[in-house]
Amino acid sequence: MTTVSNLLAFFGLVVTLLIVWRQSWPARRRLFVAQSLLLAALASAVGLFAHRRALLLVAAVVVVVKAWVIPRVLSRIGAGAPVRPIAPGRSSGMSVLVAGALVVVAYVIMLPVTAAAELPTEGAIPLAFAIALIGLFLCVTGRDALGHILGFLVFENGIFGLAILATYGLPGIVEAGVFLDVLVIVLIMEAVVVEVRREHDSIEVDRLRELRG
Amino acid sequence: MTLIVLLAVPLVGALVLWRASGSRATVLHGLTSAFTLAAALGVAVQVNRGGPLAAVDGLLRADALSAWMIALISVVAALAATEAPAYLRPDAPGRFYPLFHLFVFTMLLAVSTDDVGLMWVAIEGTTLASVFLVNFERTRSSLEASYKYLLICSVGIAVAFLGTVLVYFAGIQQFGDEAHALRWTTVVRLAPGLAPRVIELAFVFLVVGYGTKAGLAPMHTWLPDAHSEAPAPVSALMSGVLLSVGVYAVLRFKPVVDLAAGPEFARRILLALGLVSIAVAAAFLWTSTNYKRTLAYSSVEHIGLVCLGLGFGGVWGTAGALLHIANHALAKSVLFVLSGRIRKAYGSTEISAVSGLMGPMPFTGGGFLAAMLALLGLPPFGLFVSEVMIFAAGFTQGFPFIAAVGLILFVIAFAGLLRTTHAILYGAPSSRHPVVEAGGWPRAIPLAGALALLLLTGLAWPPGLAATLDRVAAIVTR
Repeated sequence: MTTVSNLLAFFGLVVTLLIVWRQSWPARRRLFVAQSLLLAALASAVGLFAHRRALLLVAAVVVVVKAWVIPRVLSRIGAGAPVRPIAPGRSSGMSVLVAGALVVVAYVIMLPVTAAAELPTEGAIPLAFAIALIGLFLCVTGRDALGHILGFLVFENGIFGLAILATYGLPGIVEAGVFLDVLVIVLIMEAVVVEVRREHDSIEVDRLRELRG
Repeated sequence: MTLIVLLAVPLVGALVLWRASGSRATVLHGLTSAFTLAAALGVAVQVNRGGPLAAVDGLLRADALSAWMIALISVVAALAATEAPAYLRPDAPGRFYPLFHLFVFTMLLAVSTDDVGLMWVAIEGTTLASVFLVNFERTRSSLEASYKYLLICSVGIAVAFLGTVLVYFAGIQQFGDEAHALRWTTVVRLAPGLAPRVIELAFVFLVVGYGTKAGLAPMHTWLPDAHSEAPAPVSALMSGVLLSVGVYAVLRFKPVVDLAAGPEFARRILLALGLVSIAVAAAFLWTSTNYKRTLAYSSVEHIGLVCLGLGFGGVWGTAGALLHIANHALAKSVLFVLSGRIRKAYGSTEISAVSGLMGPMPFTGGGFLAAMLALLGLPPFGLFVSEVMIFAAGFTQGFPFIAAVGLILFVIAFAGLLRTTHAILYGAPSSRHPVVEAGGWPRAIPLAGALALLLLTGLAWPPGLAATLDRVAAIVTR
């Protein structure tokens, strides 16, 4: 079990770093799908190992919501956006470096948790937290609405992975709430982005600078 | 049973209103608001007479703290609801009424459940229900405000989810699969045996997450935009009670971390965030040129004060903070409602455009002045009492230095707000000519009622208020 969870979390982290590395939007979206599938695999592995049937259901919902519905919405949002950001940004080398540092930070922050845990999955907990931190970093540094949403989704995947690794699944009502929440956020984001695009002819955040002070 | 009714009324109201329009919608809106208020006051009375209520196998539970919040939410919601029909054109676009009641429903659910997971879902729901209300006017700036609001609060709430997961993790690590390990009553019972370092980490995440919702600096950046762009009744609800719901969530976890890791940890965090919030607000209260944003920054200041009170602790600090939540909610919602009327008359939210308001709009201006004096913390209004309680707690609990710094920042904020008030009411008359103000008692009664309540908490506590506050404070001080 330890090997499987560590391996899946590690692959998740690699995919996350690739999301940071790649600039092209369709590639990043495909990487997000891969990450969500890894999350589903993790949920089913933990579910089989710990005999939690509910987690198999969770895995199925992850596949439907995060690997199918949300990427479809994302591609609707992204339609019309240029494949690569027009403005030459920072080199993604720098971002990957920061992301690497965040992995170390994640290990340090999660020390009390791994110290208290007596689980076969505890080794993967800091990796999941690292994914969350990198997602937060993507969200904060995102140059357009797509970057923000993608960062938020990666962040959410990391936290959800951590929840599965640390608790083997939360009560059903909370998990249902989490899925509903992510789905509604993405749909509302779509509605907002459609309006932003109509108003500003662009979804770059730099155009959103009216409210100050 | 009353708890179920309390939650069912706004939810059913929202569903019915989804298909209603015209004057029928207005009537349904009024009925829903009235029944919500009645049910909420019923719950509050029952809890105060007979102790905690529970329903649905303990999933819903209202103790004295919940009852305090339920009463507060319903009173402010009723006040905002009376203003909504006048604010909306009958053919207004969008779905204002259903979203309004959905918003109220999510806040009521957040404070009347025993399950901290469900509380998290409900607080996230408050964001989702209100984001379209912020963008109700569909201008460029309201769009930007709602985007910021959704993004920042979603990230914040996800951090709070992480904290909730860690609390759950600590519970099942220590005590195995407790079926109700996410129930607040269970968590508090088990708290002394939970791993202290994990709970501390969880509390940091919870404070950052729910603190974002509460508008604590430095996580407050969404707040002035959303508050100033939302329609006035929604601003009143957001500033008056949505922020307090965020504080409530932090408050629920405070006894847990106090029992697991000692009282110093939560105290330090709350005092630091409280001081930072007051400082940030004080700076912006001097520089803001928009009166709705000024009111929004004043909310940051008052939430900071509440955090100071909770950090000082003791019966005085905690009771003072809880009373302050209520006082601030009443004063601020009156001010937001009036600011909506001012905006409607002048067509601007710039202070310079509405200066010298007392001349052309004496009634609105008079109400604004009274509510502003209350907000500034002058006697005879209740904010004076709760602020004295908070700072007195600081000096008596052994934090004279922090209390003194807080007091200095508070005075700076006070002066900034007073300056703005003076400019709005008595400044050089603006070149704009406002639409003649709609007078009439019906529109003044709800506001006068809120101010009368503030006089009660300031001058003569009704019998039972002290006992109620003691009961509420006992829940969160362990």
